[in-house]
Parts: sequence; structure tokens; C-alpha cells
Amino acid sequence: MYCLSDQEVDFILKDIIACGIITEDIQNNLLDHICIIIEQNLGQNDDFKEFYFSVIKTFYRHDLSEIEEQTRILSNYKKHLVFNRMQFFLLVFSIFIGPFIAYNILWIDVNWQSSRWDIPIDIWGNSVAYALWPSLILLVIFLTPEKFEPLIPKKSTILLGIKPFIRIIPDF
Amino acid sequence: MTYSTELLKGTLKTIILKLLSDNKKMYGYEITQKVKELTSDKIQLTEGALYPTLHALEADKLVTTEIEYIGKRMRKYYRLSLEGKIKTKEKVKELSNFMESMVSLLDIKPKKS
Repeated sequence: MYCLSDQEVDFILKDIIACGIITEDIQNNLLDHICIIIEQNLGQNDDFKEFYFSVIKTFYRHDLSEIEEQTRILSNYKKHLVFNRMQFFLLVFSIFIGPFIAYNILWIDVNWQSSRWDIPIDIWGNSVAYALWPSLILLVIFLTPEKFEPLIPKKSTILLGIKPFIRIIPDF
Repeated sequence: MTYSTELLKGTLKTIILKLLSDNKKMYGYEITQKVKELTSDKIQLTEGALYPTLHALEADKLVTTEIEYIGKRMRKYYRLSLEGKIKTKEKVKELSNFMESMVSLLDIKPKKS
């Protein structure tokens, strides 16, 4: 079993901090976790730094600060509603389009008795005019390919609440 | 075969709480190894999911911690609090009911032994 020196432990801790882990609790847990892996798997003649960097890469998808971000989400945004991308778009779409659909249904219901169940063109026109632009904007945001860095990336998590009202967290 | 993170997301707290309930006190690395062992490597807890969840459980006072120094580094052990023990029972019961519902919903037949 490899025995880590104090300098090597310091090196790992400094690197964890430099990679964006600022919560002390997470720093210490990660440090211990990495040290155990290194002690159990590194051979006496193996290169410490090379092995360390290969291990740390397995801890994240994009960068190590994802763990810090996730910690803050779980600690700070408990009262926020959490949506995935599809749920969020459906919600916003419903907010924009819902009132028009509701109004049209109400109109049909009210005028059912007078057998005027077909919606007049001006009501249709207003519904389409008001709903069209938000729908188009939403559609563009939704369909923007990843290579153009969309406002809401695929697999992102969206938080809705108070302070902040909306927060988009990229994929973990 | 390993399970997708989407499937695991909602069950992570329950898994950790139940392990702590069965093992009195554990530290992070030990939890990951225990999960691997119990599930024959089918569930692999990532560090990115485990430590933020442990941090949240501590903030919610569902676990208590104790520190052990190993040379220059510290190892943090997690133990269920009284509140955590109650929560574990609730969570395990909830998940168990959910699984029963899923079995009915998806029409999954139990394996013949």
C-alpha cells in the first residue's frame, strides 16, 4: 500500500481548492476519498501526480466545481421548484398559450346555447397574434443546437423560486 | 449493467440513510464501496452526487458527524441522528410503496426462483 507524504496531501488539497471547491466540508471529504484511492492503487514506483490527475478526472463530467455547485443547490435552493428542460418549456409554454386556449374554450362554452360555437375570426386572430411571438421565441430557444451554446442547454436543471427567481444549472 | 443517474437521483438520500441505519457510522468512501458491494457494481455512487447529499443531510440535521484525523487529513464519519432514524423509516417505506406501484404499473412479474 502506497503511503502518501504530507507534501502530496497538501498538493491534492491545493488542487481541489484551485479547482473551485470552496466548502471546507467537501474539500476534506474529497481529500480523504482521493487519498484512499491513491493509497490503495498506486504502486511504489508509479508517478503520483500522473495517477492523481487520472483519478480526479473520474470525479466530474466537465470540471470539479460541479460538486461545489451541486452542494450549493442542495443547501441553498431547498424551497425552489426544480424542473428539467422539457418540464420548464412546457410550463412557460402553458403560461403564454394557456390563457388563450382557456379563453377560447370559455367562449365556446358561453355561446354553446346560441349555437355560435365556432370561434369568430377576430378572437382567433387575437389569440394567434398574442401567442405567436412568445411561442416562436420559445421554439428558437428550445431548438438551438448545443454548438451555439443555447440559453438553456440540454440536460440542464432549472430552479424557480425567490432569490433568484430563476436559475439555470448546466448538466451534472 | 449500471443504472442511469436519472433513476438514482430520487433514491440517493434513501440509500445513504438506510446504509447509515444498518452500519451505525460510515465515511464517504466506505459508503461508495458498500453500495458497490451490495449491488454487485450495478449502482456506483459518484463523488459528485454523494458528498453534496451528505452535506445536505448534515445541514438538515438528519446525520451527525465525527472527525478522525489520519495524518494530515481528516476523515468525517456520518451517523444517523434521532430525526434521521425517523426519516429513514419514512423514506424506506415511501420507496417500498413506490416500487410496489411501479411493479403493478409496469406489469412486472416476479422472477421465479
